[in-house]
Amino acid sequence: MSEKNYGEKKFEYNYRDIVQPNYRHIGKYMPRKEAKDIVTGKATFLDDYSVPDMIYGKIKRSPWPHADIVSIDTSKAEALEGVRAVITHKNMPQKWGLGLPVQRLLLEPRVYHVGDLVALVAADTPEIAEEACELIEVEYHQLQPVYSADEALAEGAPQLYERFPGNHVDNGIKYFQPDGPWWQIIRGDCEQGFKEAKYIAEDKIEFNQMPVPGAPETPSVIARFDGIQPDCVHKDGVPNFTIWASSQSAHIMKLMAEGRIPNSNVNIKTFNVGGSYGNKQSMMTAALSASMLAMATKKPVKLVLTKEEQLMAYEVRLGSTMYAKVGMDEDGIVTTVEGKWLVDTGAVGDSVQGQVGVGLGEAQLVLAKCKNWYMDSEIAVTNRQQAGIVRGYGGQELNSCLERLLCAPMKAGNFNPLEVFKKNYISPGDCFTWRDGRNWKSRSSFFFPEAMQKAADLFGWDKKWVGWNKPYWVSEDGRKARGVGMGVIGNADISEDNTEAIVRIIPDLVGKRASRVVIETDITESGMGTRSNACKIAAEVLNVPVERVIITEPGSQYNPSNYGLCGSRGVITTGKAIANAAMEAKKKILERGAIYFKRNVDQLDTKDFMVYVRDNPEMQVPMFKIWDKEMSVVGYGKHLEMFDVPSCVSLFVDVEVDLETGHTEILDLATGTDIGQIIDAKACEMQLEGGWGSACIDTATFEENVLDKQTGRIMTSNMIDYKWRTFNEFKPFNAYVMESQIDSFMFKALGVGEVSGAAGASATLMAISNAIGADVKEYPATPAVVLKAMDKI
Amino acid sequence: MIKQDHITITINGKRYKFSVGDGYGEVPPNETLADTLRNRLGLTGTKISCNEGACGCCTVIVDGKDAVASCMALTVEFDGREVLTVEGLEDPVKGLDPIQQAFIDEYAFQCGYCTPGIIMVAKALFINNEHPTPEQIQEALSGNYCRCISQYTVLRALNKLAGNEDAELANIVRANDEIENPIPVRQVLHLSPYANGSSSSHSID
Repeated sequence: MSEKNYGEKKFEYNYRDIVQPNYRHIGKYMPRKEAKDIVTGKATFLDDYSVPDMIYGKIKRSPWPHADIVSIDTSKAEALEGVRAVITHKNMPQKWGLGLPVQRLLLEPRVYHVGDLVALVAADTPEIAEEACELIEVEYHQLQPVYSADEALAEGAPQLYERFPGNHVDNGIKYFQPDGPWWQIIRGDCEQGFKEAKYIAEDKIEFNQMPVPGAPETPSVIARFDGIQPDCVHKDGVPNFTIWASSQSAHIMKLMAEGRIPNSNVNIKTFNVGGSYGNKQSMMTAALSASMLAMATKKPVKLVLTKEEQLMAYEVRLGSTMYAKVGMDEDGIVTTVEGKWLVDTGAVGDSVQGQVGVGLGEAQLVLAKCKNWYMDSEIAVTNRQQAGIVRGYGGQELNSCLERLLCAPMKAGNFNPLEVFKKNYISPGDCFTWRDGRNWKSRSSFFFPEAMQKAADLFGWDKKWVGWNKPYWVSEDGRKARGVGMGVIGNADISEDNTEAIVRIIPDLVGKRASRVVIETDITESGMGTRSNACKIAAEVLNVPVERVIITEPGSQYNPSNYGLCGSRGVITTGKAIANAAMEAKKKILERGAIYFKRNVDQLDTKDFMVYVRDNPEMQVPMFKIWDKEMSVVGYGKHLEMFDVPSCVSLFVDVEVDLETGHTEILDLATGTDIGQIIDAKACEMQLEGGWGSACIDTATFEENVLDKQTGRIMTSNMIDYKWRTFNEFKPFNAYVMESQIDSFMFKALGVGEVSGAAGASATLMAISNAIGADVKEYPATPAVVLKAMDKI
Repeated sequence: MIKQDHITITINGKRYKFSVGDGYGEVPPNETLADTLRNRLGLTGTKISCNEGACGCCTVIVDGKDAVASCMALTVEFDGREVLTVEGLEDPVKGLDPIQQAFIDEYAFQCGYCTPGIIMVAKALFINNEHPTPEQIQEALSGNYCRCISQYTVLRALNKLAGNEDAELANIVRANDEIENPIPVRQVLHLSPYANGSSSSHSID
């Protein structure tokens, strides 16, 4: 039960009182449309696809983190038989930029990170292209590198780009903040807030290992130059490209590519995506490299990054450092947050301002009762590999610092963190500023605290929580100790970005068979089942079997606009556009039915391509008996961006630490959420379990990109040295899921995939600290870190 | 090593004779089995991900029993041997392999990129041991990478096949299951007789 006060009046909300719909398809498991293709190996991914007359691209990459290219000799490479083009900064056909805002060119006489682009090669086979890369002779003059935001923003630091004086990236950009840049939470009076606080703590926490989300399929594209088309605006014409990509969003890729290739028109086509976790979206370096080679050779160019390139030079999580002072009152309510968040975006800043906005937004969801804020942020470019978008989108990187920092005042007041999180988390009516810089008021669930409590019960929190820095169990020989920790996070992005869809009920031309529904929208499939759920939603609205609903191939050219699978928003926003479109189609056919039956529209309904009278279902007519011969019934629907239904995921971690070796093992995990209405039961389960993956929970113990500061090289750029959780290391997982019918769209669902594991890292550090009886504040808490915290080394 | 100018490999029950050499269309001695399967035969169900034997995506079954990482094996080494890929698992008459069906029933995949490799490792395990224990299943799959986290549903599917009904690592409690007589907004809908066909005045017959 939850309570809320509105002035004098007190309302009680009982989960029991929520009306639970009884859907035909929604909420049930239905095998995905492509399920059989996936288990039989027929599903097509980018590298399984070829284009006629295709050649292959490879990239010559920099061995140094920061250097000038003194000389570059491509003559041997060009002379190799089968080589079609070698492009360097000297002979680029056009000057294409990188970053948002554009801060550099694709190829420059200077390199900014190990793995940066030095030359592009196209050849008849991948082997020839690779050999040609090795034949390119380059002389470098090394420059002083810089590897952290802290260092990069300091006075006298080596400078990367002229566009960013002091390595300081623009605080905001118009695309993310249409009313003007927003990068600080400034509200209330911090001085007053600290006066009201009983417990105050100040600290610096870093989450700077920039781990790898690690999609199994590497970023890859095929680019084809389709010539220059005469144009009424640009007198030189418009260059046309077709790009097939392993991207999770054709829309974002088109948006970015057309911004980088002057006056271009780019047609993006996507396939099944072999994992992305937000990480394979614009893929600009790969897409622009292949496109430039295609333009130079006039042939389609396939560029498939190797696993090593993906780990060494592709986009990773943001680096994050937080200096903050937090005040908490005697009831455990946070009264003040004052501090600064430093963000390391690596050598290219691309979309980072959106991530900073979301991170700051999420901080306010967790500490929604705090009235006094001064949280500044600064973004820096450094000589590390580019940071990009990863599931959690700034929120996880901030949360890993902020919630670890929050432990200090909680510990000082000897609070049970479960009670603190329950009290501080956002409830309906609380306000926050989101990444668009606008103020929003939550109209989300009343039951987040209840979901936290139920998950805690499932986990056995009340037995295992024995106080701060205290193990709840120590082995008889005193060698092993166990402790628990928790974290909470939420995200308001589930309704972000505008999206549209068309739903057509198409007639069966021959008859004696049911008709079909076609959904037209641009949504790809990267594992979450979004395309199948889209079909399910249309089937539910029109009350037809799901197998009678099909969806158009993803691609930017011929579909209505859809922002794609970013922000864990696909099912909600695509679903809303489709539900609205299906409703419009349904309304049209009911209006015909009303004339046919001489009844009011409200008295009619549809089922399995029939229109019937609700009070007298015997009165029914096939839709196409009353519609124009062989014509479709067409509906259009859209979703417009908003940010007022935040989600919430709480995570509980139980760890066992070997006190002699410092090795930590997670014993089990529990999570709790109110997810609105479940659209697909099994897909929902895997969204929650997904927190183990894509560089989330395990970034607390062993996942990290190890940087050799002597050379600037990543020492973990292969799948043996980069540590990941294997099948035999998976532990018991418990989840408590409430479905309180949140007013997000017709089917009342709330997404959680974005943040399902995002609070896991801070929770794990809390658990380790409790197990060993000493504060651990460093990510990842490797055996060395743990032993150091215990003063053993 | 005896130099051969051709090799013969049986792949998914079909015999292929390859010329070995550096000429056009010939299999060079340094070509991996994964490349031969994917680039020469169009058997793209076998995926190449790490290309160094660490992720299991390229697993095939050799001589009806051994799971082999095809990205780490040279094609010329398979002369006279039998290779089974994910495309060869489905029986044209009997239909899907029970493992494939279990993966659909339990939704034991997400993006599906690592799935063929996981299925082939599981198949090799079940060929050698019809009733593996939950621990043996987890151990067998320890070389398979899955980053979407389908491990729990994969283990559920395989444990059911192995007869380990009680082995369950993940427990999802839905609040609605704990509520007696929830308030429904509409009556249970029954499938209509029209679900699979209806005729109209437009029908040709």
